[in-house]
Formats: sequence, C-alpha cells, structure tokens
Amino acid sequence: MTSATSPLVVDNLSFRYRDRQGAAIHNISFTVNAGEVLLIAGASGCGKTTLVRCINGLIPRSYKGEMSGKVLVLGEDVQDWKLSQISQKIGTVLQDPERQILGTKVVTEVAFGLENLGMPRDEIFSRVDEALNFLKIQHLRDRETFNLSGGEKQKVALAGVLAMRPSILLLDEPLASLDPASAQESLDAVRMLADTGMTVLMVEHRVEDVLRIKPERVMFISEGEVRYLGEVAGLSKVVNYHEVKLPAEDIVERAKREPAPVEINVLPGVAGKGAGKEALVKFQDVTFGYESEREVLHGINLEINRGDVIAILGPNGAGKTTFVKHAIGLLKPKSGKVLVDGRDTREASVAEIARTLGYVFQSPSHMLFAPTVHEELSFGPLNMKHPKEQIELEVKEALKIVNLSEKENDPPLALSFGQQKRVSIAAILAMRSKILVMDEPTAGQDYQNYMNFMNSILQLPSFEAILFITHDVDLALIFANRILMVNDGRLVADGTPQDVLRDFDRLKANRLVPTSLLALNIKRLSTTGRFMSAEALAHT
Amino acid sequence: MLVAWRYRKRKNSFIQSFDPRAWIIFFVCFLVSTLSFWDVRFLLPFFLMAMFVLFTSGVKWHEVRRAFLFIIGFIFFYAILTFLTGRGGTEQYAEEHLIREFKAPFSLFGWFPALQVTVERIFFAVSQLVRVSSIAMMTILIPYSLNPALYGITFKGLGLSDKFSYAMDLTMRFIPTFGRDFQLTMDAQRARGYELEKIRGGLIEQVRRLGPVVVPVVIHAIMGSEDIIDAMDLRAFGVGPRTWLDVLTYQFRDRLLIAFGVLMLVTSIVLAIMGYGKFWVPEFLIAMF
Repeated sequence: MTSATSPLVVDNLSFRYRDRQGAAIHNISFTVNAGEVLLIAGASGCGKTTLVRCINGLIPRSYKGEMSGKVLVLGEDVQDWKLSQISQKIGTVLQDPERQILGTKVVTEVAFGLENLGMPRDEIFSRVDEALNFLKIQHLRDRETFNLSGGEKQKVALAGVLAMRPSILLLDEPLASLDPASAQESLDAVRMLADTGMTVLMVEHRVEDVLRIKPERVMFISEGEVRYLGEVAGLSKVVNYHEVKLPAEDIVERAKREPAPVEINVLPGVAGKGAGKEALVKFQDVTFGYESEREVLHGINLEINRGDVIAILGPNGAGKTTFVKHAIGLLKPKSGKVLVDGRDTREASVAEIARTLGYVFQSPSHMLFAPTVHEELSFGPLNMKHPKEQIELEVKEALKIVNLSEKENDPPLALSFGQQKRVSIAAILAMRSKILVMDEPTAGQDYQNYMNFMNSILQLPSFEAILFITHDVDLALIFANRILMVNDGRLVADGTPQDVLRDFDRLKANRLVPTSLLALNIKRLSTTGRFMSAEALAHT
Repeated sequence: MLVAWRYRKRKNSFIQSFDPRAWIIFFVCFLVSTLSFWDVRFLLPFFLMAMFVLFTSGVKWHEVRRAFLFIIGFIFFYAILTFLTGRGGTEQYAEEHLIREFKAPFSLFGWFPALQVTVERIFFAVSQLVRVSSIAMMTILIPYSLNPALYGITFKGLGLSDKFSYAMDLTMRFIPTFGRDFQLTMDAQRARGYELEKIRGGLIEQVRRLGPVVVPVVIHAIMGSEDIIDAMDLRAFGVGPRTWLDVLTYQFRDRLLIAFGVLMLVTSIVLAIMGYGKFWVPEFLIAMF
C-alpha cells in the first residue's frame, strides 16, 4: 500500500558507502502511516542504520556514497531539502544518548533544536515544558545531563527531538544501554506518541521487548534487503529464531521440530580442580567512593569461587562496573580488601593482576589501536611474555570463538561496532587469564552472535570462573550458575538463578522486568530442576 | 558525551558574584597587564590580586590539588632550569653580578660544568615565579568557577558569532572529556598487561610504544567530534541566527569590574611603553657584589 500522502514513503532505495564494496541497502520500498509503529529488526551490519541515515538525511549529506531511489516525507521528495528542513519533520534518537546529548543542563538540551530555529524564548520554554511533561520527566528540568542515569538520558534525548514537533520519529536501537525497567518506560512513551498520531520507526535488536508495545508492523532486513514486512504474527514464521530473539513460547514451538541442543560442558578446566573449594577472588568489607564524593560501594563481602559463572544484574548507575573494577585493581577500596589469588590488589599492579583476571571493557573504542586484528589480539599475550608459537594459537582460537577468523588481517578500527566489540572480547580471551570478567558483552551484538560466543566462551578449558555484567535477564538465566544483584552500591542478592530470579518483587525493586523465558522456566521448574534456554525447554 | 569541569555554585564566592562576561574581560586585562612587566615590584600587586581571588573563590583545595601541584611543579622546573642555565633572562639584563661560582671537579670533553649564582639570575627566577604563578592562579580558577551552561552565551555576549560561540562552548568541555577518555584508555590497556612506566628504548621506540594509548584516545576524539556534528545537524544547528535560552545581564558591580580591568590594562600598557616595569634588581645587592 503506497500513498503519496503517507507521512513516509521509501521507494526503491539503495545505497553504497563510498569506501566500501557492495550496497549496504538494496531496493528497499515501504510506506508508513500516521500513528503506526514499525519495528525494524535484523542482524548487526544488515543495513538497518544505513536505512535510518537515508531517511533522516545524514545520507548523503554527512555520509557520502552512491544513492538511488526516493524518500518522500508528507508526499515531498526530500532529496533537495536541507538537513535543517528534514530535522523539523523527522526526529532522530540515536543508539546511544551519550552521543546525542549536547547541552550541559536538561533544559538547554531539550531546547537546543528550538534555539537553532531562532524561536522566541517564551515559545521555547513552553515547548520544552510540554515535551518534559509528556515524557513525565519535568522533575529533571534543571538537572545536569552528565549526572543523569542511562534511562533518564535516553528520555531527555527523546524530549529534545519531540520539542521540535516532528511528524516522524526514528529510533536507532534506543534500548541498547538501558536497564529493563528504563527500556520499558521508554517503550511506553513511544507507544503513547504513536497513539497521538506520530509515525514511529524503531530499529531494535531486543525484538521481544518491543513486541510488548504491539507495533503495527515489523520489517526484517537481512543483507541489505527486506525479507519480511507485515504484521507481528507472521514474523516468527519467516525468520530464523536463531537470528532474531522471539518470545520463548514461539521458540519452544519451533525448536520442538528440531533436534535437542547439545548440552554444553561449562568450564571444563575446573572439573579436575574441585569447583567451589577455593576462592579465586575475595571481597572483604569493601567500601569505595570517588575522591570526596559520596560512597558508591558499601560493605561488599563475597567470594568468587572456581566454577562460578556469575551474572551481575542491577539498574543503570548501581555500581556494577565500579565493583568489577576493584577485582582487577583499577580501583582500590577506600576501606576493606580485595584479594585476587590470595594477593591484596593494593600490593599488585593492574598488569600483574591481569595475568589472573582478564577484563573486557564496556566500550571497545577505548582499547583498539593496532593496524590489524591479529596484532590487536597479540598485544595482551605479548605483554604477558607468552611464547610466540603459543600466541599464534591463542589468537587463532580467540578469533574462531568470536566468529572473526576471516577478519584477522583487517584493521579493527574499520570494523562495525558489533565486530569491534567481539575483537575486544577476543583480545582478552587470547590472554588466557584464569578468570574472565566482561562488562555488558552483548551490547550492540545481534542475538545469534552473542549466543554463539557465550556458548563457546563457557566451554573454554582455560577459565576457572567467569563474570559478566548484563541487563539481559535471559542471558543471565541461560548461562549463569550464580546471580549477583547490585543496587545502590550494595549486594542485594547472591544465589542461583532459580533462587534470585524467581522473586518478581525483587526484580521490580532492582529495575528488572520478567521475560517470557523466565516465566516459562519458572512454570516448568518442578520438572526441569533448573533454568535453561528455550531450545532446551522444548525437549524437556 | 562531553563532560563538564567540576563547576558548582559556591557560597560567597567573589569570582562567581560577577557576570561571566565581565570576568572574562577582566581576566584578559589582568593577563596582558601582568605580561607587560618583569619588575617584581610591579608584579607584586598582580600576585596579591590573584591570591585574593583564589582565597575568596570558595574553591576547596582538594578540588584543585592535582591541577595546582602540576602547575607548581611545572613553574618550579622551568624557573630552576632558567636559573641553572642562565638562559631566558639574558634578554632582560646585560650584565651579571656574581655571588658565587660552583665548578665541577671534572670535565666533559674539555668543558668544565659550572654554576654561576648571580644577583640577576636569582631575581629573574623570583620575577618569573611571581609572574607565572599569578597568571596560573587566575586561569585555574576559571573552569571551577564559570557555569558550563553559560559558556556559549558568555562568548556570544562578548560579540562572537553564534557558530564560534558554540564552538568555544564545545572546546571548553572537550578538555575534561579528553582527560576522561585518556584515563579510560589507560585503564583498558593496563588490564591487558600494558605498563606505561616500563616503556624502554630510544626516543622513536618510546613514541611508538605510546601507540596503545595515543591511537584510541585520538580515534575516540575524532569519532566523538563526528557524533557531535551529526547530533547538531539533526537538530538544525547553523541554519540562521539562533536564540540563546539563557540571558546575561550586567549589574553595576560588573561594569565596575570591567572599568577597573580596562583602567589597569591601559595604565600597564602606558607604563610599559614609558619604560617602567622592566627587569629590576635592588641597587644595594648590585653594590654588594
């Protein structure tokens, strides 16, 4: 159904980036109506972000290349429009609000676009208040943007776009950095906007989360082409459930027709050494605060034992990263002790601790520097003075685990964000530390990739314990055998996934939202005895 | 995301009681005036003025400790280097009066290292310390005292264009952001066994080995700039004259401060042109040696 008066018509759109071979998107055509939410799903690098850039005008104005086809906004071809004209009709919220927010205070951030349009000040204040009220964040008006939580930043970025009163809203993975409760609140706001008549296009990996707000249609893109465009109900029939995360019931239904998944051998290297007998890391009454600021960790006591696969859950800004940075000695406790392999982190350098504990940072761009992926991965083992032949093996194996063997000689900085993230994980895997710590390893990754590398990492014989920080409840319940829940700098829960995640009140208090997989696992717990993936549940 | 300096509103702060535009104008006047002199008697009022501003700023020592220790270390290093080599001050004085000479009991390729302690060198070091530390005190206080939300409108209010004012706003915030990114990169590389302090080899090799820190920081800065440009473009920046939400209004005390600053500047320049305030050494010290 193509109508010239529809808010947005994309007609036979193709684009190839100037410095890349092959089209990023190819012959894409669709129409979106007023009041409609269109969910755009697909794997990393499938062309979703390129499509968004073509619609909001950054292509071809900021990103050069060959473009063909048309984008019609309210019936008009935007090819000759200035970016400023387009931005008044189409509002864009980028993947990471950190990359979008310019103002130092919420009020100036929301007003930024209106200031640029030269509007009278009274009108600006009135529109700013309107946008803040609509998103129920009026209380943030005079706060500094730097001190907001991830969820608050996302809403402020959205308010800045809404204040310009666009007809069409583009959201490029708006949930990527949010805890589940913040993601839910953002999604509710989006539904509310669509219900007032706005046209919404949302690119998102977290398909199941978006399905909760009942998008009118879903588009599935693969290799730059539209593979499916239609109602939500039809999506699960056409897409591979290994590629797109569908609701657990749908996966179970389809997985029944396939062979049962192979049971993974978690941390095989621990078997002969006696799991749980010896603490690898000990936190003893650890408190911490940045310089003179308030305390951010309060009296943390815990032991990380051989065989532990720990998921650390908690809201944005709860102190999760601060907590794990103590384990590698990047931060030293204000009081109390952290012992790694029996040694106080105050008495060892970070480089020394890194031999025992490998830490994958949240952002890959803070560590990638080498001219090739191979050199990038060799860097850690070389610093640790591993023998040359061993380094070659370590690099090859790490690349295989993260599915980047064919990129070995490519410059890491030229890879996509998802691939860079996998390089950063491989760089630590190659160091073969005893303990692996990962800070949001799945952020910016598509479902299939992260499920595969998590499976492979858990089966590596070199690790004796693994910790990962995540907002993904399903990731925690599938892969972890122990959950630590951190909130407001305190350890509020420590136990098996079955014990910790069954308590929905506790989940709510820690800004977590029960998923369909969690609900299904709880329902079948008396039969299964433990939590597992939907594919495994299908065969119980 | 750009981070801001550690600004906060401080109780009874002298510097914060003025309009930021007035303070920037005064600061520029102070800077040029101080740089007009080498005579420690002329520099002393500026030093006292800077001390007054520092102690009435409301800025706590622990906030500026690192910045001050760095700058004090730098100033002393520079002053001592000038003192030891005797270079730097030779443009200010023609002859030297020797107090004592220390000679090394060995020679390097026929040259006997020697340190000449002269009246001029001592006074030049003192003048240099007073001059640079006055400027440093006044400069360090700016990021801790000026509200980052007002950077843009401050420069706009000083007569700069919209685009240039916003660019200045972003530049001011880029410095602490760069510092944060540097720290994050250092941490990420240390977690991979990299130890900056253990870098060995010749100069070129040492520079090459800084790559793991320098490359990510630079790339991050470039990527960050592209994000900022995209975010600005997507919200119609630069399409025409913009409205600035914040409004600054000069009070009587601001006008007074500007008048004082301009008077100080004009007086300093006139005195300098007339030949006053050049490098000075007390006559009695010269007579003694």
